Amino acid sequence: MSSDVKTPVGSGNGGGQQEFYAYEYKEQMERDVFAAISKPKPIYYLALLITISCVGIGAVSWAIQIANGLGEAGLMNPVGWGVYITDFVFWVGIAHSGTLISAILFLFRAKFRNRFNRTAEAMTVFAVLTAGLFPLIHLGRVWFAYWLFPYPNQRYLWVNFKSPLVWDVFAVSTYLTVSVVFWYIGLVPDLALARRLKTGAIQKKIYGIFSLGWTGTFREWQHYNQLYKFLAALATPLVLSVHSVVSWDFAMGIVYGWHSTIFAPYFVAGAIFSGCAMVLTLMVPMRKIFHLEEYISIDDFEKLAKLLMLTGLIVSYSYIVELAMSAYSGNVYEYEQFMYRFTGDYAWAYWTMIFCNVISPLTLFIRKLRRSVVYLFILSIPINIGMWFERFNIIVISLAKDFDPYNFGLYSPSWIELGITLGSFGWFFTWFLLFAKSIPVLPVTELKEEVE
Amino acid sequence: MIHRFKDKSHFMKKLEELLEEGHTKKDMRIVIPHPDHDVEHLVEHYWKPSKLKYFTLAGGLTGCLTGYIFTSWTAIDWELVTGGKPFFSWPAYTVIAFELTILLGALFSLAGLLVMGRLPRFSKMFNPESYGNEFVIILNEDK
Repeated sequence: MSSDVKTPVGSGNGGGQQEFYAYEYKEQMERDVFAAISKPKPIYYLALLITISCVGIGAVSWAIQIANGLGEAGLMNPVGWGVYITDFVFWVGIAHSGTLISAILFLFRAKFRNRFNRTAEAMTVFAVLTAGLFPLIHLGRVWFAYWLFPYPNQRYLWVNFKSPLVWDVFAVSTYLTVSVVFWYIGLVPDLALARRLKTGAIQKKIYGIFSLGWTGTFREWQHYNQLYKFLAALATPLVLSVHSVVSWDFAMGIVYGWHSTIFAPYFVAGAIFSGCAMVLTLMVPMRKIFHLEEYISIDDFEKLAKLLMLTGLIVSYSYIVELAMSAYSGNVYEYEQFMYRFTGDYAWAYWTMIFCNVISPLTLFIRKLRRSVVYLFILSIPINIGMWFERFNIIVISLAKDFDPYNFGLYSPSWIELGITLGSFGWFFTWFLLFAKSIPVLPVTELKEEVE
Repeated sequence: MIHRFKDKSHFMKKLEELLEEGHTKKDMRIVIPHPDHDVEHLVEHYWKPSKLKYFTLAGGLTGCLTGYIFTSWTAIDWELVTGGKPFFSWPAYTVIAFELTILLGALFSLAGLLVMGRLPRFSKMFNPESYGNEFVIILNEDK
């Protein structure tokens, strides 16, 4: 019954002019991707040890803050929001490009997404997990965090649904839930594959449970395809809304430098910009370490670099518009606020941001640099730093010089805040390292679909 | 009877024959290693397409209505003016309604897959049949 006639398939996967046979190619791909999640080397445990130590530093810092109160943070009057909210916006932003790659590029049928989507979605989930900690850390009495959720209490008072902070609770928890569902659904067929390919008895059982007993019948695929499409269609407006809602935490306030209608699109573009940079930070070493050069080509990286360039230009444009609006607004306070950004106490932070987010991505116009994986990795670091400073500038500079000159004040983060920030990076990378050794880092099933 | 193919075009030919003969979901099971648009188009020409979209629609509508009704109800349940805004501040509630539309839309769709795809299937978790990367057609399984 079986037919062994081989159909030659053009590679299109960076394999040059070679011809592959679809069936063998799929088998080979399985082997290569699963080789990446085999038993880890000692260096992996060393990396894990470092990230977990960072988590430990963060945990101790937070414990000190809980024990002694919020005074341990450098927050003061008028700068009541500092590094914690900066970190929150930074991590939510990092999450965004994962959804862009997995959902928006899926709807646009951009095939290069299949190289990055598994990692990018994992990054999304872990970044939202990290971001979600910061509103809690920022609370003076964290054990009352549940007050943010709408539940009936004995005084019959509900949360204020007109408040952007409550919108944020809804936006971020929806985002976390939908990203997890989207990621997991994409994973199910690959987990079924892991159940088949893994040899350890316990491993087989674990993958079996998480694969939901998936067998790949047409009935399953039929509903699966519909579900995936709908999730992508739902996640697309969601991702745009989440960072808009985050931006409204600021824009709904009346502080100069915050109260601006450009904030929503400006934040979304910035989020995708920083997220693409983080994808590069993670994927370039991963491709090298796991020997996935055959599956993720320079062309794929170049497309990601172009996305980085595009969003970088949108961000630069937003900076100009923001500036122009304040200059032409005729509002002296608004104008003063921007002059303060360029020349005031935090000018160094502002110019760091301009260098990282505006100047450095311009180098991507040079084709040679855009196609150099090493350069992309190096570039991704200042962009990550620059985007962190962007949020720092918006939050801290605007607050430091608000309405009443008698009330002006300067903020500098305390060691507790820096420890917690370090902890958040440790937390994120710990999750990521665990992911990289337990789940296929490339979406094997989707790549197989591409072969046909 | 099991037909196994390593090659998609031969599988498609056989599949079309069998569908032409009038085999239905009841006596024929198709197992494929990855989603495939050609197979989907071919089969859905004979069999009904997925009804998952109704789950999504139901979830989306539930979320949207809940978002507006719940927020408005809490505002009038104990009247307390905040920010000088009216009790029924629909533009503000739109954000909540929007997020809940997406949340419940996604969760209902997930439920749709689990219900209609009959997952999770405990019997297949630990000793699954496996055909690797082959395209498979299984006929008259029960007989």
